[in-house]
Amino acid sequence: METTTPLLAVDVSARYADGHDVLRRVRVTVERGEILGLVGQSGSGKSTLALAILGLLTAKSGKIAGSVQLMGRELMGLRPREMRELRGREIALVLQSPLSALNPALTIGAQLREAWMAHDPEKQHWLKQAREGLRSVSLPDTDDFLARRPSQISVGQGQRVLIAMATMHRPALLIADEPTSALDMITQAEILELFAKLNQAYGMAILYISHDLASVSTICHRIAILHDGEIVESGKTEELFRAARHPYTQQLLSSCPHILAEPPKEEDMDENLWPTAPAGVLQGALHSHTYHDCGR
Amino acid sequence: MKAFRTLGLVLLAAVMTLTAMAQSAGELRFCLRSEPRTFDPLLVSDEASDTVRYLTGGVLVRINRQTQTLEPELASSWKVSKDSRSISFALRDRIFYSDGSPFTADDVAATVKRMMAPETHSPMADAFGAGGEKTDIKVLSPTRVTITFAAPIAGLDRLFDEVAIVSSRSPRKEMAALGPYYVADHKAGSYVYLRRNPNYWKKDSSGQAMPYIEAIRLDIQANRDIELLRMQRGEIHLINSLDAEYFDRLKSINPSLVYDAGPSLDSEQMWFNQVPNAPVAAYKLKWFRSSNFRHAVSMAINRADLARIVFGSHAQPAIGPVSPANKFWFNRKLRPTQYDTGVALRQLQQDGFRLNGGVLRDREGHAVEFSVITNAGNKYRERMATMIQQDLGKIGIRLNIVTLDFPSLIERIAEKFNYEAALLGTVNAGLDPNEQMNMWLSSGENHQWNPRQKSPETTWEAEIDRAMKAQSQLSNPMKRKVYFDRVQEIVVREAPFIYLVNRNALSAISTSIRGAAPVAMRPQAYWNIERMSLTDGKKVH
Amino acid sequence: MKLLRKLAWIILLTVAALSAMASVLSTSGYATQFREETSAAPSRQHWLGTDELGRDRFARLLYGTRISLGLAPVAALLATALAAAIGGGAGYLGGRWQRGMTVMIDLFLCLPWLFLLVIARAMLPLNVSPMVSVLVTFGLLGALGWAGPARVVAASVAALRDSECVLQARAVGTTEWRILLRHIFPRLLPILSAQFLILVPVFVLSEANLGMLGLGVAEPLPSWGSLLREMESLYGLTSAPWRLVPLGLLMLVVNSLQLVMGDEETSA
Ligand SMILES: Nc1ncnc2c1ncn2[C@@H]1O[C@H](COP(=O)(O)OP(=O)(O)O)[C@@H](O)[C@H]1O
Ligand SMILES: [Mg+2]
Repeated sequence: METTTPLLAVDVSARYADGHDVLRRVRVTVERGEILGLVGQSGSGKSTLALAILGLLTAKSGKIAGSVQLMGRELMGLRPREMRELRGREIALVLQSPLSALNPALTIGAQLREAWMAHDPEKQHWLKQAREGLRSVSLPDTDDFLARRPSQISVGQGQRVLIAMATMHRPALLIADEPTSALDMITQAEILELFAKLNQAYGMAILYISHDLASVSTICHRIAILHDGEIVESGKTEELFRAARHPYTQQLLSSCPHILAEPPKEEDMDENLWPTAPAGVLQGALHSHTYHDCGR
Repeated sequence: MKAFRTLGLVLLAAVMTLTAMAQSAGELRFCLRSEPRTFDPLLVSDEASDTVRYLTGGVLVRINRQTQTLEPELASSWKVSKDSRSISFALRDRIFYSDGSPFTADDVAATVKRMMAPETHSPMADAFGAGGEKTDIKVLSPTRVTITFAAPIAGLDRLFDEVAIVSSRSPRKEMAALGPYYVADHKAGSYVYLRRNPNYWKKDSSGQAMPYIEAIRLDIQANRDIELLRMQRGEIHLINSLDAEYFDRLKSINPSLVYDAGPSLDSEQMWFNQVPNAPVAAYKLKWFRSSNFRHAVSMAINRADLARIVFGSHAQPAIGPVSPANKFWFNRKLRPTQYDTGVALRQLQQDGFRLNGGVLRDREGHAVEFSVITNAGNKYRERMATMIQQDLGKIGIRLNIVTLDFPSLIERIAEKFNYEAALLGTVNAGLDPNEQMNMWLSSGENHQWNPRQKSPETTWEAEIDRAMKAQSQLSNPMKRKVYFDRVQEIVVREAPFIYLVNRNALSAISTSIRGAAPVAMRPQAYWNIERMSLTDGKKVH
Repeated sequence: MKLLRKLAWIILLTVAALSAMASVLSTSGYATQFREETSAAPSRQHWLGTDELGRDRFARLLYGTRISLGLAPVAALLATALAAAIGGGAGYLGGRWQRGMTVMIDLFLCLPWLFLLVIARAMLPLNVSPMVSVLVTFGLLGALGWAGPARVVAASVAALRDSECVLQARAVGTTEWRILLRHIFPRLLPILSAQFLILVPVFVLSEANLGMLGLGVAEPLPSWGSLLREMESLYGLTSAPWRLVPLGLLMLVVNSLQLVMGDEETSA
């Protein structure tokens, strides 16, 4: 597939106020409709990269240099207002913990409303969109659910709400920063499935960030390994698993004994690990190399 | 006015206690309200030091606090010269300080010399006039001494009531006492312990040596509530001066403890700012400078109510500048200012004021409204002001009450003259009009309503000036009183100070004290300490 | 809980209604001195007796309530609003701004306020009507009371600003204004209302203290401060327990306020 411009092309260095370099010329590209897994251990700079892409590093008093291009458009140097208009509409973010990412003082409805109205000031649209968003993540779209507060729903439901919020505007790119790390195994699988589904249904590209190679491997088309602020290796999932070159990647692989060198087949799925995972979907995600055109 | 130095100062209370222990059955206890600043009798400027001086100092002559007449002490006789410049003392013989050193005319000479020396900075030197170095002291014999001052001093002999004679020989200096007690122990912040002076010269009519009480423990206690509590519990024997509220409180617990000695020498008064260039509206100054206006205000104030309600009847409506408690100098011909709003209004009408719809207006139509300042935190003054507010409201005057902290109050009345009326008090320690010279002379610093005048601005102030100067140049008290009576009449008529009440001298005295006879003059409760004794009882009451 | 809250509302409304109707309810004005009946015990004529100058305590309590409970919350609201604006602004801007403001607040809190207020009083004109003195007093309290709460607010806002949920809100493209309005301010409300509730009785008591310094409500106007000041001596209280009524009422009102506001937070 030769497309002229990738969806996202990043080449950045970043540091925080304390002066130490967190990212050193990190080069990442995400193609349209692709799920790219970004894997690295805690502290390697994954979240920093996510924030750098979204232009939110300055809010954490971080500094960024280099280039972030979305569909060929340079985002570095955009005015804060232009950057804000991109966020949630073109690039969205799902954070790790719904407990802390959802505002405890606002109802689910109110948060969906905020998310919608950030890019559509028309008051009457939001409810319809909110219900649709909830349905798309398999949540009830009832008034009762909309009126609940984050404390009144489960963590898994919370994560779905976050995903609904992030995908309401059908962004071209969804950045999911360790979206399953706070979940139990069963819920993890459900959420992974949801991402795969969204990817398929809307052709939404996903930058899937995780410290866990195992979970990434199930849905990602390509994987990039971030180690200590640098991309040490990247490639198609099967290739990476088959022939990891970088010692760090090899180390990662060896620490996940259940990950096969071969891409997983349906019958190889660890039923204990993914007891409720609808294997077809997972498989579809893994084996489909058909990149959907994600023009909106 | 000397008053302002001591205004707001807490009066010293003195109480004596009997302890449970047998050997100290003769110990009296009372409280000092602050640490004495000095034991040097020539440097006394605070109440606590004054108490110690009164109890330990030997003086040549003493004003009898009851009769208010001057009596011989260490001097058996004295004579003031015709020109009131010099005084000769004949001293008693064979008198010794508490440490055994003999008392002679040299001690008197040394004491007066040191008091008058400018480098001593004795607060008492002022009263003896300027030119301290020119004081001439002649010791004629060990028992005869003549002191000649630079200028005539009216009432010269009475001034020696405060001059405690310090030994010129004793190595203990001022700690060697000639008075009934000496300082035996002192723990800063805690107590002063006095012991009976074994060498005290006085004996009673039956020949028994005085004083009768063995020792006095002065506990330093600033909190009056605690003082009162200790009095209730019998831990102290007396409280020298109580205010009306505490008096009534103690009375309700034990009526036999409290003693109301009638009006004191102190007064509470209100006055208007009459300083011609004061930063006050011109039309208001015109009111304030009118004696009709002032007198009308004076008549519109119900003094009887002030005394009854604010002070629980422990005060008397003031008649004039001198309290009736000042037996000799009070002008008995003066009548109390009548409370009569009708007459007050008529007097105001003479000045063109009209009462219309409850508002008094002057000739030009200005509504009569003014503020009175008083010191914040003084309940009695705040209450008096509130009552006066209602009284004046009856003749259509609106009074605004402003309470200020003491420094800003003084700044306003003494420096900036940025006030309209003030309500304060005068504390009179002495009896003699000469002590009030600075208040009555129009050139005086403490001529509060219009101080430091180059020449008297009104005829009545000129007349006061003349009378005050005339009396100060005479030595015959009866002749002096003629002039001072006149001054009192003028002050009442012109009302530069509107005298409100004289507080009563209130004290608390344990029933185990014999011989107590509280009076109006300071120190009210223990002035006759040498004649006081304790009953044997171990409990105080 | 519900019942208590209802009761609190009833108490607040009753107190408000009573003090609003002070002129109808009290048989005599708050300033009239019944000089033949000073320090009287409660009677049919004077329900709470009279004070030292013979003024009807009940009337003074009603009018005093109107003044103090009317103005202390206004002053507290002013102080809380200032705290929210200054503390919130500094906390939200963070970094240099927050450090600057912290220094400023520390300085502000270090100032000898009583002394400065006394000086301020000394500079005010003397002929101000009692009503103006009341407004000035509570205005000053409101204008000066913000510093402590501002520090609390700044810290909370800084924490909220760095929180995940604000990051999430930013990531969906919410504007800074909306973030302040929808995400930060509502979560600040419990803190602000707690600060407000602390300030109300503090201001009532400060007014009492200021009164002793010559600031505060001028005679003959009553205020809770002047009513509370009468309680200085324990002695007077034991012999005249009805004097405790103002204190009781203050506590009742503050508690009711707490109940009413506390409940609102959790159900809003
Ligand atoms: N706000 C910040 N200020 C300073 N250093 C930070 C900040 N956030 C993260 N870091 C540091 O940057 C590095 C990368 O952090 P992060 O991007 O959060 O890693 P990851 O998401 O891979 O766990 C870590 O060493 C972390 O300590
Ligand atoms: Mg992270």
